[in-house]
Amino acid sequence: MARVESPQAGREAPVARALLLPVVVMAGATAAAAALVAEPARIPVVWCGAFATVVVAALAVEIARRGRTIRRRTTEYQQRVTALERRIAEHDEETVRIGKELLPSAIHRLRVGNSPDEVLRDVVDSDPVYRHLPDAQRSLVYTVLDIIDNEEATRDSAQRAFVNVARRVQAIVHRQASELREMEEHHGRNPDVFDDLLRIDHGTALIGRLADSIAVLGGARPSRQWPKPVPLFSVLRGAMSRILEYPRVDLHSIAKVAIIGTAVEPLIHACAELLDNATRYSPPQTRVHVTAVEVQTGIAIEIEDGGVSLSEEARARAENMLARAQAGSSMNDLGESPRLGMAVVGRLARMYDLQVSLRQSAYGGVRAVLIVPRAMITTGPAPGIAHGIGATSRPTADIDLADMKHVVPARGRRRKPSPVAARPATGPVTAEQPRPVTPAVAMEDDLPVVTEWTAGGLPQRRSRGRAPLGSHNLPAQAADPTAGRTNGHGHSYGPGQDNSKEPPPGIWLEAFTKAANGVPHEPGPDEDSDDAWDKGDLQ
Amino acid sequence: MSSPRRERRKADPALSDPERLYVITGDPDGSERAALDLVTMIVSKSEPSPTVQPEQAVILRLCQAPLSVAELSAYLSLPFSVVTSLLTELLATGLIESRAPIVRATLPDRSLLEAVMHGLQKL
Repeated sequence: MARVESPQAGREAPVARALLLPVVVMAGATAAAAALVAEPARIPVVWCGAFATVVVAALAVEIARRGRTIRRRTTEYQQRVTALERRIAEHDEETVRIGKELLPSAIHRLRVGNSPDEVLRDVVDSDPVYRHLPDAQRSLVYTVLDIIDNEEATRDSAQRAFVNVARRVQAIVHRQASELREMEEHHGRNPDVFDDLLRIDHGTALIGRLADSIAVLGGARPSRQWPKPVPLFSVLRGAMSRILEYPRVDLHSIAKVAIIGTAVEPLIHACAELLDNATRYSPPQTRVHVTAVEVQTGIAIEIEDGGVSLSEEARARAENMLARAQAGSSMNDLGESPRLGMAVVGRLARMYDLQVSLRQSAYGGVRAVLIVPRAMITTGPAPGIAHGIGATSRPTADIDLADMKHVVPARGRRRKPSPVAARPATGPVTAEQPRPVTPAVAMEDDLPVVTEWTAGGLPQRRSRGRAPLGSHNLPAQAADPTAGRTNGHGHSYGPGQDNSKEPPPGIWLEAFTKAANGVPHEPGPDEDSDDAWDKGDLQ
Repeated sequence: MSSPRRERRKADPALSDPERLYVITGDPDGSERAALDLVTMIVSKSEPSPTVQPEQAVILRLCQAPLSVAELSAYLSLPFSVVTSLLTELLATGLIESRAPIVRATLPDRSLLEAVMHGLQKL
């Protein structure tokens, strides 16, 4: 209203000014015409003049008014146009802001786990900038969030599905691996079957690694748990045992530390993937060298191959892949790259704080460095030491007795029934000597024909021909059971252990020999024949 | 007959290890095993050098006094075939010596057959 009123206030002066000229000119012309015309015509001329003047005045007023209206409308239009233009610009800006700020933050909140409604409430309604968002845009944002939510749910369930499948495969592989180990123990004395079993075992391990990779790419953690620390050496050999071309890997100077149980499986898997890359992308006749040294931040495991040098772009691509996997890239990025291993390593590195880098190797190939953080390392004794002895190669005797402890009692326990039961059996055996001797001879070849009996009633074989290394040692051990303790390992039977129950090695070697010779002892005729059959298989 | 044995040999899951046996054995194709028997005695000829495989180092340490293959297999808790392939490598490098396995006669000798016959007659 104010806008309309202000021109109205100043309207009088321009109207008078616009009116003045035509009226004065018309009045002048009328006066001039009245003066010029003859007397009788003067009155009508004056009338006409007056009428024309009035008409002109009226027209002038009207023209002036219309002109003013036009001007006012023009300014109004211009104002409206500017206002509309400003609004359009504002809309554009808002759209851009929705695209660049609102949606990303909303999607981020959605990914964290909020529902679309919650996100809309948190992001749009609580923000004064977006509070007055038009309904259309609001529903647009909501629809977008809803679609994304649905997609994420679909992808999550797909991922869960194949992680689930991978878990089942892992379980089967795990069970099969332990059964294979059992079979390997069982057929340990039949080299042909044993080698075939090893081959199957190897194939199973490869399947297991694939299942592990799928699980890791699906966002799950490795399922296998190791209850106790495992020496790094065993960890690296575990990694070797999961790749195809393990004979090409050389382990040099591995730091003598152990890896805590929870970190064992991911480390094995990451190393296996790196080793797999190294062996796969290098010529088959080259070796892959692995070293592990202590560094300030932990242990640096270096894997060097003598393969084709990684070009700068290829290296950048691989590093990029690692980085993307570390940043938590989605499965979608994986499809295009054949190097699945790098993505797995990257994910494991992200989950477990490992650092991975790829460098040019001095051998010309690639040098992958994996840095294991100090938190994963324990320098204390690793009770779960793989083969007891695998971890240390120090040539001191006390090392193996410490390491052996978990091995020897187990064996002793297992062997316990046979020597203990064999002792009562010595009575009848010595009483009727000919009977056991005959099968012994029948089972063995004809060389050890002399069979004697020790003071303890145990059988003793002596070979007729040459008696080289250590065969003379055997009767000495048997005659004096304590002599077995001087064997360097014998003193692993500490004072805390029951010596009477667990005979020193010499004694149960005797029992073993006896069993192998087929001398029957009382409780186990089936075992004897079993052994005899195995022996037959062997030869 | 084999099932009780299987039970006895079941590996303790707590002691299971990440490394599989074929990694310890080495190359699967080149596994030419020396003719070693369970009762073959092994004695080491030198101290383990730092470059040998840990299991071989342990064999060298254990065999400073003569030990049978069966005992080695038990102490290392490794199957016989694994131990023999480890020993084969050591034999090839000359780090250990073994008593040559006993040659089996092609035919049993007469006295043995007679002994069997007498034994059977006494039953």
